[in-house]
Amino acid sequence: MNLRLNFVLAAAFLIPIGTFAAVKKEPGPETVVKPKERSLVRVNVTGQPYDYVRPWQKKAPFQKRALGAVLSQGRVLVTADLVANQNYVELERAESGEKMAANVVVVDYEANLALLEPTEKKFLDGLTPLELAHDTVVGDRLAAWQLESTGALVVTVGLVTTIQMTRYPADLGQFLTYRISISMQYRDNSYTVPLVKNNKLAGLLLRFEPRTQVLDAIPAPIIAHFLKDAESQKYRGFPSAGFSFFPTRDPQLRRFAGQTGKPAGVYVTSIEPNMPAAKAGLQVGDIVVGIGKDEIDQNGNYVDPLYGKIEFTNLITARAYAGDILPVNIQRDGKPMQLNLVLEHRDANDFVIPPYNLDRPPLYYVLGGLIFQELSRQYLREWGANWMKDAPQRWVYKDRFQSELYPEGNRRVVVLAQVLPANTTIGYDEIAYLTVKTVNGKEMKSLADLAEAVKQPVDGFIKIETEEDPKQIALEFSQVEAEAAALQQNYGLPSLQRLE
Amino acid sequence: MRLCVFFSIIFLLAGEIRAQQKIPPDPPGEAKPPAITPTPAPQPDIIAPPAVPLRPNGPIQKSLVRITATEVEPDYRAPWNSGGIQRGVGAGFVIAGDRIMTNAHVVSNARYLTVERDGDPNKYPATVLFVAHDCDLALLKVASPEFFKNMTPLTFGGIPELESTVSAYGYPLGGERMSVTTGIVSRIDFQTYTHSSIDQHLAIQISAQINPGNSGGPVMQDAKVVGVAFQGYSGDVAQGVAYMIPTPVIRRFLKDIEDGRYDRYVDLGITYTKLQNPSQRHALGLKDDDRGVLVGTVIDAGPSAKSLKAGDVLLSIDDHPIASDGTVELDGGRVQMPEVVERKFKGEVVKLDIWRDKSPAKATIELGSVWPYLYLAHAYDVRPRYVVYGGLLFQPLSLDLMEAYQPADIRLRHYYDYFVLEQLYLDHPEVIVLTNILPDPTNTYLAPYRGSIVDEINGKKMRTLDDLAKAFSEKIDRFVVRMIGDGPPLVLDPKEVESARERIKKRYNVVTEQNLEDQPVRSAADPAAP
Repeated sequence: MNLRLNFVLAAAFLIPIGTFAAVKKEPGPETVVKPKERSLVRVNVTGQPYDYVRPWQKKAPFQKRALGAVLSQGRVLVTADLVANQNYVELERAESGEKMAANVVVVDYEANLALLEPTEKKFLDGLTPLELAHDTVVGDRLAAWQLESTGALVVTVGLVTTIQMTRYPADLGQFLTYRISISMQYRDNSYTVPLVKNNKLAGLLLRFEPRTQVLDAIPAPIIAHFLKDAESQKYRGFPSAGFSFFPTRDPQLRRFAGQTGKPAGVYVTSIEPNMPAAKAGLQVGDIVVGIGKDEIDQNGNYVDPLYGKIEFTNLITARAYAGDILPVNIQRDGKPMQLNLVLEHRDANDFVIPPYNLDRPPLYYVLGGLIFQELSRQYLREWGANWMKDAPQRWVYKDRFQSELYPEGNRRVVVLAQVLPANTTIGYDEIAYLTVKTVNGKEMKSLADLAEAVKQPVDGFIKIETEEDPKQIALEFSQVEAEAAALQQNYGLPSLQRLE
Repeated sequence: MRLCVFFSIIFLLAGEIRAQQKIPPDPPGEAKPPAITPTPAPQPDIIAPPAVPLRPNGPIQKSLVRITATEVEPDYRAPWNSGGIQRGVGAGFVIAGDRIMTNAHVVSNARYLTVERDGDPNKYPATVLFVAHDCDLALLKVASPEFFKNMTPLTFGGIPELESTVSAYGYPLGGERMSVTTGIVSRIDFQTYTHSSIDQHLAIQISAQINPGNSGGPVMQDAKVVGVAFQGYSGDVAQGVAYMIPTPVIRRFLKDIEDGRYDRYVDLGITYTKLQNPSQRHALGLKDDDRGVLVGTVIDAGPSAKSLKAGDVLLSIDDHPIASDGTVELDGGRVQMPEVVERKFKGEVVKLDIWRDKSPAKATIELGSVWPYLYLAHAYDVRPRYVVYGGLLFQPLSLDLMEAYQPADIRLRHYYDYFVLEQLYLDHPEVIVLTNILPDPTNTYLAPYRGSIVDEINGKKMRTLDDLAKAFSEKIDRFVVRMIGDGPPLVLDPKEVESARERIKKRYNVVTEQNLEDQPVRSAADPAAP
């Protein structure tokens, strides 16, 4: 037990000694905590996710708790996970239990960050805003701040073991991440836990694995990027270049790509249509050897002044903003070239099968008992944590390879998800999880297309063509119309469609 | 949507209990008929209780055979190895013509077979005369004429009645002496035959206790064979559920081999769905007469490719009207439409009345088997096909491969699941997978390519493993292997591969660098293969 550390903390917050059992035994360096003031506020969120299996309704409400980091200008920083599908957000002063409603000002599900504001700014009076600590490096100690039920601060110190690019929960691109080894007692299953260095905010908890005691944190540079973007008129989001790559460790691949000099760069394997790389003329087979002044090695790393070698995508996500011009040095057939990519944020809605869909209800269209939806990963996630194995495998395949299967983009995949038994659907009851190709002869690229096409029956029938067996399904237009009200009432559907 | 059944079915072969995790869903259009009306079994006369124990089936010891098989199980993860040697014990019985009937799975992959009979200390070497992996039956012969002396050939009965008593004979758990158990006929239905794992035929569920070692043994009633015990559930799934192969399947097998060759079951090579929705019937211009099923997919490699198309409605098959639920009346009972096809042989025809574009039409289809399905079935008595080049192991995608590697790769699983239904075999009669890499300095950077599917080499499409072997044998400076999807090309320098060849062979004990024989699809029988 480290006495000095105990003393410092106990003096400030009178925490029972027992809670320190897990604290690091090594002497705490100066970088660790001397919290003089409070900078945390509890955040209580009631959320209600949409039910993609019954897309006309919401699931039962749930409560989430978190600790928000108080920032300047009366703002509170939390993770986006916390406020996803929120109905009501409330801030709570830890010391007094005083509460006030709050609004979500900006949310970025890809970087997993959100900014809250209390409805009255003075609610945060007396709390000291946290500044950002940008300079965390491997070997630093960061303190995880949590609160006891009494409002007392619990500080656990961990060691930053790795700084690398990892995938965040939205699974879109890679972001800088601090990996911290920490013996932390995780309290309240708190969705947001601030990590602090020298009383400055160094990161927010992204995920914690109690078994291995490994904590991943959203680092200050990503938070800073988010905050800077949030100050602009319209939040743009993190930029992407729109190409995939492969390391050129293999000398044969380098020779094939025409590289003769020293090994360097990454091999471009595919280019997303209509994205910055495509617009700038990057081609499959090019080798990207540098961005601006930074050189990319054959593993795809550049040398960062703070972190040393780290994947070059950090130069795009953390360093650049949507709208920035990114000078990219490439080799094409061995010849050096420079391309200027005008970076853009790729919105989740710009995907054929959107990677996430939060705070917005799912679209659906019920036609005589047939339930049509647009395929989304949010829907696939209804199959649980193992959705990649448990969800209909054709849909998982379509999601995974969407840019190969739908290279033209700018569309959705319309699916016939399930069937409500009714007079109109007798004999169709075994149908589920089909992909709709055409309705009344018109190609289906969105649910809006479907709503339009069903209005134009062919010989009195609505004819649906599916990719999978039975390949064709027909409904009598007049019967669908006549029985719509009864169907709606029978299954208690508030509406037979939601198209916006 | 069809349900996946997660029961594990075990083979009744002692010494080798193979549990199958998951039965693939029924192929669409091959739905199970609810039941076949049993042919009435002759009623035994009622007799007074005998003073001595009743032996209604006679002295089965004079017909029962104990079979010991030494099998070599191919190793799909190291296909150059001869594989693991296993011994199993099963049962068999003598039938007319000095032949022994047993299950295909008792003798599959066997390298050495011996048979024993009651009261004779000798073990007689035996050989396989015919084997039918799609219905799990085999016939053996024994060279020594001594063996059949004093043996009584058994004859076959019909389909036993529900609830009637049957007796099963065999060597459960490998014992030396014959074992008898009795039970009743519980259910008569179509079942997946797990030996191949994709074939479905009639099977009879009985409540007799049968266990590994009963495989291939006769199930008797009134001194006649009414079935061959073949599969059951392992105890943790269901108890008292055992299956036997009924005599219609046995008789079909015996008839098929009369010409000296087993031709496999035949198929229409289509998927179809029921036509019970009134609107759909009206849209197709059909009457409200509850007739017809809708053709969904016509498999190009199947016998109907030239005669049927998606959207056709099948109204009758060989003049049996097809009901809208896919059943036909046959021998006084309702069975699923494919039963008409099940009873036929390769080269025989079915006549179909169809409804195409709102008018009647006819089609005559010469039946055959659908070769792409073979890649979705277990393969036996063949060595795995493979090519090792530069330490890279290339193998065709098959059920045995999927079971050996259990790949999580979504593309690979898609290619397996939709090989037939999406007709992926048209471009890739064999889906060539880079399954493994034997690490060596020449391939040390190639690990990320593992699990990819080869599309082309130096611009040439690779349709079969033979194509790949041929491509790699060309004298050229460089091989550029393109995989399906967005990955980078895999580039190989033949000079480096050549220099590493002996080293890799020696280090990993790769006895032979390729096996291109034993292709399940033989080009002659395969219109789509090159």
